[in-house]
Amino acid sequence: MASSHDTDATGITRRQSLAALGGAGALALAGCTQSGGDGGSGDGSDGGSGDGSDGELSGPINIAGSSTVFPLMSAVMEDFAEMHPGVDPDISSTGSGGGFSNFFCTGDTDFNNASRPIQPEEEELCAENGVEYVELIAATDAVTVVVNPEADFVDSLTTEELAQIWRSDPAQTWDEVRDEFPNEEIERFGAADTSGTYDYFIEAILGEEGHTSDYQATEQDNTIAQGVAGSEYAIGYFGFAYYFQNPDQLKALGIDSGDGPVEPSLETASSGEYTPLSRPLFTYPSISSLAEEHVAEFARYFVEQTTNEDLVAGDVGYVPATEETQEEQMATLEDAIEQAQG
Amino acid sequence: MATDNAAADGFGEVSRVRGIVFEYLSFGASVFGLVALGVLLVYVAVDAFDLANASPEWLLTYFLTLVVPFLGFCLYSADDPDVTRRAVVALGGGLVAVAALFTAVEALVAPIPRLNWQLAYLFVVAAPVTAYLAYVGSRGRVGGVGFGLLGRLIGGVAIGLAVGTLFLVLDPLVWFLAYTLGILPAVGLYALGRGRSSSRAQTAAAPIGLLGLVAAVFLRDVVPVFPSDLIIYLWTIAVPVAAAGAVLVAGRSGRTAAAVVGGVPLAVATAGGFLAAGAGLPAPTVLLVLVLTGVPTGVYVSRVVDVGEGLVGLGLPLLLAAGVVAGALIVEAWGVPAPDPWLDPSYLTEAPSRTPTEAGLYPAIVGSVIIIAMVAVLSFALGVGTSVFLEEYTPESGPLGTLTRILQVNVANLAAVPSVVYGLLGLGLFANLLGLGIGTAVTAALTLSLLILPITIISAQEAIRSVPDDLRRGSDAMGATRWQTTKNVVLPEAMPGILTGTILALGRAIGETAPLIMIGAATTVFRAPDSLFSRFSAMPMQIYTWAGFPQADFRYGVVAAGVITLLIILVGMNGTAILLRNRAERGS
Repeated sequence: MASSHDTDATGITRRQSLAALGGAGALALAGCTQSGGDGGSGDGSDGGSGDGSDGELSGPINIAGSSTVFPLMSAVMEDFAEMHPGVDPDISSTGSGGGFSNFFCTGDTDFNNASRPIQPEEEELCAENGVEYVELIAATDAVTVVVNPEADFVDSLTTEELAQIWRSDPAQTWDEVRDEFPNEEIERFGAADTSGTYDYFIEAILGEEGHTSDYQATEQDNTIAQGVAGSEYAIGYFGFAYYFQNPDQLKALGIDSGDGPVEPSLETASSGEYTPLSRPLFTYPSISSLAEEHVAEFARYFVEQTTNEDLVAGDVGYVPATEETQEEQMATLEDAIEQAQG
Repeated sequence: MATDNAAADGFGEVSRVRGIVFEYLSFGASVFGLVALGVLLVYVAVDAFDLANASPEWLLTYFLTLVVPFLGFCLYSADDPDVTRRAVVALGGGLVAVAALFTAVEALVAPIPRLNWQLAYLFVVAAPVTAYLAYVGSRGRVGGVGFGLLGRLIGGVAIGLAVGTLFLVLDPLVWFLAYTLGILPAVGLYALGRGRSSSRAQTAAAPIGLLGLVAAVFLRDVVPVFPSDLIIYLWTIAVPVAAAGAVLVAGRSGRTAAAVVGGVPLAVATAGGFLAAGAGLPAPTVLLVLVLTGVPTGVYVSRVVDVGEGLVGLGLPLLLAAGVVAGALIVEAWGVPAPDPWLDPSYLTEAPSRTPTEAGLYPAIVGSVIIIAMVAVLSFALGVGTSVFLEEYTPESGPLGTLTRILQVNVANLAAVPSVVYGLLGLGLFANLLGLGIGTAVTAALTLSLLILPITIISAQEAIRSVPDDLRRGSDAMGATRWQTTKNVVLPEAMPGILTGTILALGRAIGETAPLIMIGAATTVFRAPDSLFSRFSAMPMQIYTWAGFPQADFRYGVVAAGVITLLIILVGMNGTAILLRNRAERGS
């Protein structure tokens, strides 16, 4: 109100002052504009610091598959996501088989993790849908057979004894396995039949005899551990990582495949002494995905990290690959990338 | 005959034993589930906040600086000697009883893991007494004002965060155009029409708004230069909210108050937004939180000052803040070991990690919030639409009536279909057939909407059915059309019931895991989703995965923190819906 009274004195009309204000406002706003070109929002790149090579990579990476490989893969992804702010990786724990048949061989994921090699029917499915892939070794795992820490009567089992406990027509009491064992019923806790660990256990120990169905089957290592910890006469098996992180909760058995009992550890699995239960873990990148630079770069980074002891052994609890294996894997991968991008 | 006569003498007797037994059995049944859940939640809370490592001195400090003043405030507000006496007896007697009972159980039966009697006292006596006193206190004048202010502060922060989260997936540029070209002109026209009671302007508002929205989508790629995000939020949200607040106040307490209520929060929020941008914080979210907290608080304070009753209550937030600060200072000075909670700010703002102490839930929280927001809108629209059609428009007899009944039975049966089956439906229909993508947020939202649709429909139908027919007939008698009756009579009457059903259904949707697994939602993502078509993870998925990790810190600490976060968000969501419902109840 006051300004309109003063108009005559100062010679500035209301319209003029409005125009001046508007002009100043427009100038102020012009400093805070963004271009509407790309879909991205302007506030995302807060740093913008000069590592140009990293900034170029962008895009999603979809990974599904084995719950055994999940901790390793997600640890590698975590670091990769931190290094490359433009890359948006995600990972699902679906089990080896579930990942192949539902997502990978239908072309919906870029990688599939597996705790066993791809199986013939899955190969067929992938071929039907035109999905090509390459097999990379991610790490080595030692399938660990555990009993209750109170079970003083047993420290090791031979592979035959293990087969007696887990075959389709299993021993009912411990003394059926070995005479000096107590006459108590065996309680079994093991991997569910969707799990790669289950497939591997059959292949390595049971062969044609098949797996018993008289056991508590689960995908969760936790459940196996709690079951075994709850009963003195229980036995179970799972990947090494759980035992590695909780060594006091359970007792791992030595496995005797003819050369005396060998206990599972990073060393024995790495040296190949822990047979037949040390197994390779895999990941399968799809060739068509490797054509994208950020996926190829992630695959390279992953293979590099397979020898990283802090990460593979320390954080996750698997056996890192040897330099030699890593070089082979890298060569395989580079061939595949060349095939994809060439 | 003789015995019959003997029995018929006097009134005879009926045994009351059965009745008493039944009463206690039903009491036991009602308590059983609550106690079991309560014990679980106590342990989860102890894990999430690391209370097992809280020293008794730490607990005592905060009890004295925070809880006791709060109880004092509630008692002052209640102003009832009876309540005061009861509270003192409960707190004092409870202390002795819990300490004695706990020690006795530990000595005689078995040690109770990860709890001590101080924590037992906190959960069994202090928490319920505090809740009771808060309830009693909030009914007093002073307490009502205090809790009203506190609620607006907390609610403002929550809504600001939620809106900020939703704008992560919306393109702010489209929103800017849509607001400027569609919403603003439409609202302006409507207000103008009301002011001059010109019905033509009001009718024109909707088409013009729609036109603007369509234009916004087309212009998004044409316009070369946009204001920065902060300016967009300032223009599209902060200014309108402040203006609305000012208008509310202007009618009641004059222009000066209106200018203060609208202007001060706007200025503070703008300054906060630019400062946050300089400090590398998410500026739009800071702006939204400040303005959505400041304006409602200002409106409320101005109203309380006008009424002039219970002004002391306005001090409640200050009292609590002072309690927290004093507690922190004393703990610092005393050197008492403080717990190191898993559920801390970094947990809520960081991505998942292989290291338990660095693991965060941020991407999953954003994923869940976005999905639930979409599910709420979709299931409400579809549910209310279906139930209105079934209750108000379909004939009750004839072949169409039979069809309606078949439809009804099927809707009821759908509620019993397992969630995995809905997951398969979502995978087949939305992800593959419609090509919305495997594991994308929009697929998940559509799947979960279908999952809870039967519950929403049935509860909305019940609510509509319970509207007395007299009201409809009355409206008909006034010459109203069926649409007018539905809009003006039936829906407002039924709204509280409809909202209740939707709240319960949403609670189910936010905790679902099975359908998400089926549609291929990711277990872990490292970035928050930035569009409706990006892949996401939801809180229950991430929590379930952590529960299977070998490290004990994940299985206890990190999982517990996730459970508490999920519960807090659920309670916040339900709280909002309950407020809406109460408002609707008062309105009708």
